[in-house]
Amino acid sequence: MEKKSMKGWLYLLPALIIITVFTLYPLIRAFSMSIMLDYDMIHNTFTGYGLENYQKVLSDKSFHKALGNTTIYAVVVVPCSIILSLLIAAMINGTKKTKGLFQTIYFLPYVTSVIAIGIVWSWIYNSRYGLLNSIISFFGFDPIEWLNKPKYALPALIIFAVWKSMAFNIMVFLAGLQTIPKEIYDAAKVDSTPRWRVFLRITVPGIAPMIVYSYIMGIISAFKVYNEVYSLYGGKAGPADSAITVVYYIWKKFYQSFKYGEAAAAAVILFFIILAFTMVQKLVRKFLSR
Amino acid sequence: MDIRIENLTKAYGDFKAVDNMNLTVGDGQLVGLLGPSGCGKSTTLFMLAGLTEATTGRIFFGDKEVTKVAPEDRGIGLVFQNYALYPHMTVEDNIMFPLINRKVRKDAARQQAYEMAKLVQIENLLKRKPSELSGGQQQRVAIARALVKKPEVLLLDEPLSNLDAKLRVETREEIRRIQQEVGITTIFVTHDQEEAMSISDQIAVMKSGVVQQFDVPQSMYLNPCNRFVATFLGTPEINIIDVEVLGGTIKCGDVVLRTGVDVKNGTYKAGIRPESFTHRENDHKYSVNSVRMIGRDLLLHLDMAGRDVRAITHSGQSITTGDTVEFSVRESSIILFGSDDKVIGKF
Ligand SMILES: Nc1ncnc2c1ncn2[C@@H]1O[C@H](COP(=O)(O)OP(=O)(O)OP(=O)(O)O)[C@@H](O)[C@H]1O
Ligand SMILES: [Mg+2]
Repeated sequence: MEKKSMKGWLYLLPALIIITVFTLYPLIRAFSMSIMLDYDMIHNTFTGYGLENYQKVLSDKSFHKALGNTTIYAVVVVPCSIILSLLIAAMINGTKKTKGLFQTIYFLPYVTSVIAIGIVWSWIYNSRYGLLNSIISFFGFDPIEWLNKPKYALPALIIFAVWKSMAFNIMVFLAGLQTIPKEIYDAAKVDSTPRWRVFLRITVPGIAPMIVYSYIMGIISAFKVYNEVYSLYGGKAGPADSAITVVYYIWKKFYQSFKYGEAAAAAVILFFIILAFTMVQKLVRKFLSR
Repeated sequence: MDIRIENLTKAYGDFKAVDNMNLTVGDGQLVGLLGPSGCGKSTTLFMLAGLTEATTGRIFFGDKEVTKVAPEDRGIGLVFQNYALYPHMTVEDNIMFPLINRKVRKDAARQQAYEMAKLVQIENLLKRKPSELSGGQQQRVAIARALVKKPEVLLLDEPLSNLDAKLRVETREEIRRIQQEVGITTIFVTHDQEEAMSISDQIAVMKSGVVQQFDVPQSMYLNPCNRFVATFLGTPEINIIDVEVLGGTIKCGDVVLRTGVDVKNGTYKAGIRPESFTHRENDHKYSVNSVRMIGRDLLLHLDMAGRDVRAITHSGQSITTGDTVEFSVRESSIILFGSDDKVIGKF
């Protein structure tokens, strides 16, 4: 008995070490750092313990902006991406012949580095030579300074992020669609069901669990947005920090302002927000599977 | 509405799932489409439904050709092998669904759904989801959903295959009752010969995509056209034995089965149904290899010149293994097959 459980622990050891080093330790370190006052990472000195870091972060306008942006991102990007992905997945699933072509197209953003794609998109958004503006002016509208005007910074980020996150969603939804039996669609055909009703009454309920999963995963990753911002604006958070996100805020506090304690406090707040969403996701899934 | 199938073929590459089928189903008839797994029954049904496109041939419903008509415009009700109920809708919504699609008003649709549910005796289950029903109940929902739009043709694909033995018998009688009550032309796919024989007006037996015989059940059983049909129908299975015909006498080894027949000399395959054996004094003596009780009857395994044959006799008699019984084969119940397995005649 003893021997057996020893062997079990031995098998688990590598995974445990990795989790401890890369997840558990940083987590504990972030917690302790967030309550150290005037922490100096280089000399490893601090003046005491307290919640001042949290106070500073929570009253920081820039942090509010970051939270607000992240929230807009979560309620606009994620639903838009899910609806578009769902329509495209249903379309791809229906057409056998063009499946290969579609797969290449939707898979492309998933396998290409975000940074590389960001550069391409910053060209698309370019106010003088950009693709988007030439399309817009073709229809007789004035060109928009996508990346230079604070007002357009977030919409530009949203369009880019929707496009980018669709690959993952389409994959999840396609897998979900495979689980709906073909006979049910045949039955709907025999029952003269219009296509939109097939979509709403059969396809959507059929993959409801996947939609919930995608939504929660989308929101969680929305709180972690950083790459997208960094690449689109060449290392800045948009004009006048107008497209700042929570992770970008943390990064800036840490690497630019050297406020380690505040960065850690913001990270801990983010940790609890994500934890809350994860719990909600678990509850919803439990509810749906009943 | 009658159904006419003309030279219907479905090919997948070189393989013909259905091969040059010709069939006419009279108005209000129930036809059983019977055959072993993979013989093309479902393919035929889906071509009638319009879900599978025919390679060649034509289908008529009444006077109208429907070969190229879309499924929703064919006026058919279809019950799938696995029922294919809409899993996220209640029973009531499932049954109402075809009506809502036809823009019937909601209260009228609900009323009709209720009446249909009453016909198939599930009116107390309307608020349940399909996952909360038994197989038999799901099947009734599927039938109700197929019938609610008042189709002119009802197509059923092995609707009883998921049910237990008792429920199967009950439900097939039910299907027959509903079919007679509604008077709808019905095609019923099954691989169970007993099921087909007990509820069909006519049966079409298929093998490898080809219809072997199309007939009323009784005459199909008594006068099969070939060895396949003879073997496929009836339990216990018909005995197939090697016989020799010499000067009008049919012999199996040294056992004389019949004399005075008008068949060319030679060796043949002969089919004798187990129930064709009948006790007769001073006839051939068979030794009994084994005895098994099957309900009302006894199933005997007899030794016929070294071959094992099955015979059925009523269970009132006391016969045990090792006994000798005197049996003859009833008049005109020896079916002789030619070398092409076609029936030559009954003797
Ligand atoms: N899409 C397809 N492509 C190639 N062959 C097919 C296809 N669909 C069916 N077949 C073949 O056609 C033949 C007939 O199939 P069908 O489904 O009609 O059989 P069935 O009589 O309904 O059998 P079962 O009793 O097992 O349901 C089978 O051999 C099957 O493998
Ligand atoms: Mg089948």
